[in-house]
Amino acid sequence: MALSDSVPATPSRLKGYEWLIGFSGKEANWFWKWKFRTTDRKVRFDPDQYGWPWFPGTVSWVVPTSFSILALKQAPCTCGLFEPIRLRLERGTKMLLDRACPSGGWNAGNGVVYGAPLAPHPDDTAVALLALTAQKDLPLVRQSLRYLEGTASRLRAPASLAWAVLALAAHQRPVNSLQSRLSAFAELRHIEDTGTLAAVCLALECRGSLSMLGIHS
Amino acid sequence: MRNSRREFVVGVAGLGAGEIISGWSLFPKYQHDRRPKRSRVAILNLNAYSEKIGEMLDRGLTLFPLDVRNKAVVLKPNLVDYAPGQAINTHHLLVVAAAESFRRLGAKSVCVAEGPGHQRDTQLVLEESGYERWLREQRIRFLDLNRDHLRRIRLEANYSGMKYLWLPRTMLEAEFLVSMPKMKTHHWSGVTLSMKNMFGTVPGIRYGWPKNILHWRGIQESILDICATVPVHFVIADGIVAMEGNGPLQGSPRSLGKIVLADDPVAADATCVRLMGLEPRRIRYIYESAKFLGNSATRIIDQVGEPLVRPQTSFQLVPAWSHLRT
Repeated sequence: MALSDSVPATPSRLKGYEWLIGFSGKEANWFWKWKFRTTDRKVRFDPDQYGWPWFPGTVSWVVPTSFSILALKQAPCTCGLFEPIRLRLERGTKMLLDRACPSGGWNAGNGVVYGAPLAPHPDDTAVALLALTAQKDLPLVRQSLRYLEGTASRLRAPASLAWAVLALAAHQRPVNSLQSRLSAFAELRHIEDTGTLAAVCLALECRGSLSMLGIHS
Repeated sequence: MRNSRREFVVGVAGLGAGEIISGWSLFPKYQHDRRPKRSRVAILNLNAYSEKIGEMLDRGLTLFPLDVRNKAVVLKPNLVDYAPGQAINTHHLLVVAAAESFRRLGAKSVCVAEGPGHQRDTQLVLEESGYERWLREQRIRFLDLNRDHLRRIRLEANYSGMKYLWLPRTMLEAEFLVSMPKMKTHHWSGVTLSMKNMFGTVPGIRYGWPKNILHWRGIQESILDICATVPVHFVIADGIVAMEGNGPLQGSPRSLGKIVLADDPVAADATCVRLMGLEPRRIRYIYESAKFLGNSATRIIDQVGEPLVRPQTSFQLVPAWSHLRT
């Protein structure tokens, strides 16, 4: 995504797209698909809908799948990978919808375990919503947006609030007051984690950031 | 003769196949036998989280010949997520009390370190759980193990087959590491206590949220490999209000009224399991770690403080772990 405007980087980007297309959660394999469908039903999910894992040799999770979707959506039409990208985007999107929490929103990727629903997390929900801007009319997406809007106004942690600002802006929700709260956090000066710092910077310069993520309002 | 030789070969092959199937080799999978001759465990009774906790802990620590003078003490609580009214995390009052106790005992520094496994936003967990305010007021430093400086380390046991892990420098350089688990049942591992608590040392920034590689390599096996590599020097387990049933997040609070202190994580976990009315030898990581990391048998554990009394009703478990009940 960071290289999307760089023409000299095109060969590297193509390699990256090819790698993403070939990389998937372990449940993409027929054996694990069969296991999750028959003997291992403790976590409720559809193993036919897979996305991307955090780490090779593990199953798909919400955040890496969302970022992979955002990256693949920015592949140039001329890259020659249109069909495999379309298939992975479709499957990844279905995986996100399948892994949502029953009350709306997302956590790391386990909506129901041993029949009990788990609660959503604001940052995971925000990242998933960024990947699902094209599905904004689905009831699940609208329900998740309501959850995030309700939660964001109470958030006191910069990283979660920053991702919430980006997601809400991507879905055309007002974010001015949230941005003001974010910039007023006293501890911003003391953030040591570059990931949090980057998210805060992106959230405070929303329009340009969404464009960088391939999201155009 | 030919028959007996064939029987021998078939027998050995059968044993080997059995071991391969069960995933456990006949040969030791650990490098060092670190078991002390005897271990010491103290059970303290306290029915509620209150200001008495500090006084109680101070008294409990005098039951151990501890010397933390001029040592960097790292407290590793179980700080997973936050849900109002749920007994998910090690209570912040116990963690603050432990920090104050170790300061009084002359520690060079005391910090709290954790890398939550489900929540990427550690700051959010700290805020929501109340830790942030308490740690700030008591001027206790917090270190996010999910984002610490990392070192690639060869594991000192090979149950999981991982051989190497990237681990936080803070944990590898801790001069006195205190595991502070919440006593809980766990739907994937049976129980989560001082040794499972060390999963929090595996950095999310390298392995993701959750640290799914540990599940795929085997939870019991990963516990053994991590605890062989990052030695726990002391345990303070929060069983004042524990969790039973579908833990670690969705179980029910269970008032147990106990704090367990120990100088050996294996002895600590075995004792906690007994206090839960479960059988430690049926938990694979405790059974296996008693071969090289510590002691689980009551005959080689010096029980001090309150007596070990099993509850009349064992902790509730999800069906997959019901065999742990005594």
